[in-house]
Amino acid sequence: MAKISKECAMKIKLDKVASYSILLVAVFFSMFPIFWTISTSIKARVDTFTLPPKFFNFTPTWKNYQLLFELDGFWRIYANTIFITLATTALCLIIGSLAAYSLARTEKFRGRSALEILMIIVRALPGIVIILPLYNLSTYFGLYDRAWALILIYTGFNIPFAIWLMTNFFDQVPTEIEDAARVDGASNMQLFTKVLIPLVTPGLVATGVFVALLSWNEFLIPVIMAGESSKTMPILVSSFISNRTLDWGPMAAAATVALLPIIIFTIAIQKWLVVGLSGGAVKE
Amino acid sequence: MRSTKRTPKSSAKPTTSFTAPTWILLSFTILLPLLYGVYLSFLNVNLSSFAPTKFIGLDNYRLALSAPETYSTFITTIQLMVIGLVIQIPLGIFLAVTLHQNLKGSRFFRSVLIVPMLLTPVAVGLIFRFMFDTDIGIINWALSLIGSDGYNWLGARTSALIAIVIVDSWQSVPFVMLLVVAALATIPTSIYEAALVDGANKFQVFFRITLPLIVPTLLVLTMIKIMDFLKLFDTLFILTRGGPGNDTTTLGLWTYKTGFVFLEMSRAAALGVIILFITMPVYFLWRKSAKSVR
Repeated sequence: MAKISKECAMKIKLDKVASYSILLVAVFFSMFPIFWTISTSIKARVDTFTLPPKFFNFTPTWKNYQLLFELDGFWRIYANTIFITLATTALCLIIGSLAAYSLARTEKFRGRSALEILMIIVRALPGIVIILPLYNLSTYFGLYDRAWALILIYTGFNIPFAIWLMTNFFDQVPTEIEDAARVDGASNMQLFTKVLIPLVTPGLVATGVFVALLSWNEFLIPVIMAGESSKTMPILVSSFISNRTLDWGPMAAAATVALLPIIIFTIAIQKWLVVGLSGGAVKE
Repeated sequence: MRSTKRTPKSSAKPTTSFTAPTWILLSFTILLPLLYGVYLSFLNVNLSSFAPTKFIGLDNYRLALSAPETYSTFITTIQLMVIGLVIQIPLGIFLAVTLHQNLKGSRFFRSVLIVPMLLTPVAVGLIFRFMFDTDIGIINWALSLIGSDGYNWLGARTSALIAIVIVDSWQSVPFVMLLVVAALATIPTSIYEAALVDGANKFQVFFRITLPLIVPTLLVLTMIKIMDFLKLFDTLFILTRGGPGNDTTTLGLWTYKTGFVFLEMSRAAALGVIILFITMPVYFLWRKSAKSVR
């Protein structure tokens, strides 16, 4: 009996060691590219081109960042990306929460299935299929290279996901609360703003975080619809690939500058993130 | 007892009026472009020619459907999708099951492991392009340590496809993992206890109990991943831009090239309509699989 339990304990210990080894290997593979980017961004040009690669034995330099920050329009592009991201997030939440409320609370209404199909199309269809005609239309409407147009297009592309996510959160609110307020004569709008919004705030935050991430990372829309004046960070980062100088240092600096807000953001709002990323499936 | 009688006005549930702003937005940003795309596909718009715009019927479709690239890029899309799914889903499940054992620090591991999925795909593409570099890339250096000559990763079709899948997996496996972790959390532990009492080993438990129970989640995941592979653009654009030649060009990227490299807008629009039809089954399957989870 005692022997068996000893064997068992042994086995459990081995299992634990195996599990931790697997997780550590996974952590290594997920973190290494990030470490490598940051380390390349603070290396002098000679240190990037040596083999064997220098992991820690180099003198750090800020030169790549200086080069990046001195780029024409860098700060404007950075600020522009933040502005577009925030505006898109706000629009998605305001417009999307209204739609999510109806989808969650009303089983059948006119245009419901049409809306659902449209949302799936946006989710499943390669963006280029929509952006290409939009680009051609833009000449008529003066949409090309306008920040406000980008915001509307970003919102259009991201709102189906935001609605879907928020519908899950509205679904979780028990209807009894609304029924009581209704008896007191509250209108739908009052119900929505005074009763439901406070209740689903965590869900809205999770959705907002997710939409903000998608907008910050968006590439296809601005690569086609943004010119010089409304350029965003992903476009700036991608421009390092087209010039064939193979200057990896500034490129790594640009990548770091694009990734850093996300990494900081991630650590700060960990809890909301998991809820949002898993589509409301994980509840904290 | 409280009366459940309501006045007609306040009992009206939120409906069409609440979705109106969304409808207006989607009409201009999605519906109108889609319809205009269909219209455009019947014209002869080419941004590099001064020929007057005219209606040419189904010519663009005929050209698109007779071009070998339409088929080869479709096949590339499917290949990427299949290789990607075969790698990402099992790996994601494996990590999720490992995480799910309630080890000390599993929350920390989860937090760290999901970071890649949040990062800007364009920046990720650049990082990996640097790491896949033939001469100074760290991947070839690591391979040289184990005696391999290394590859010109992005210079040949097969290795480039593998590289693309590796980069996509780096961002997608955490997503699969996260959703599977969520699914695993819903399985009552009593089921496992019963199985252990009956003397089932780890593999039996996984294949007989865990796997069947997370099938609905896996279906949804597969659907999401299929859609993502159809949409794959950013990392592909940065890593290979569809090259060498058109060897790693997907149908979506081919549409982009037709429109914005060759400036054949109408033909690209026709390709767009074709893609719309190809993805049609996905819409129905998605509605079905999403319902099965709820």
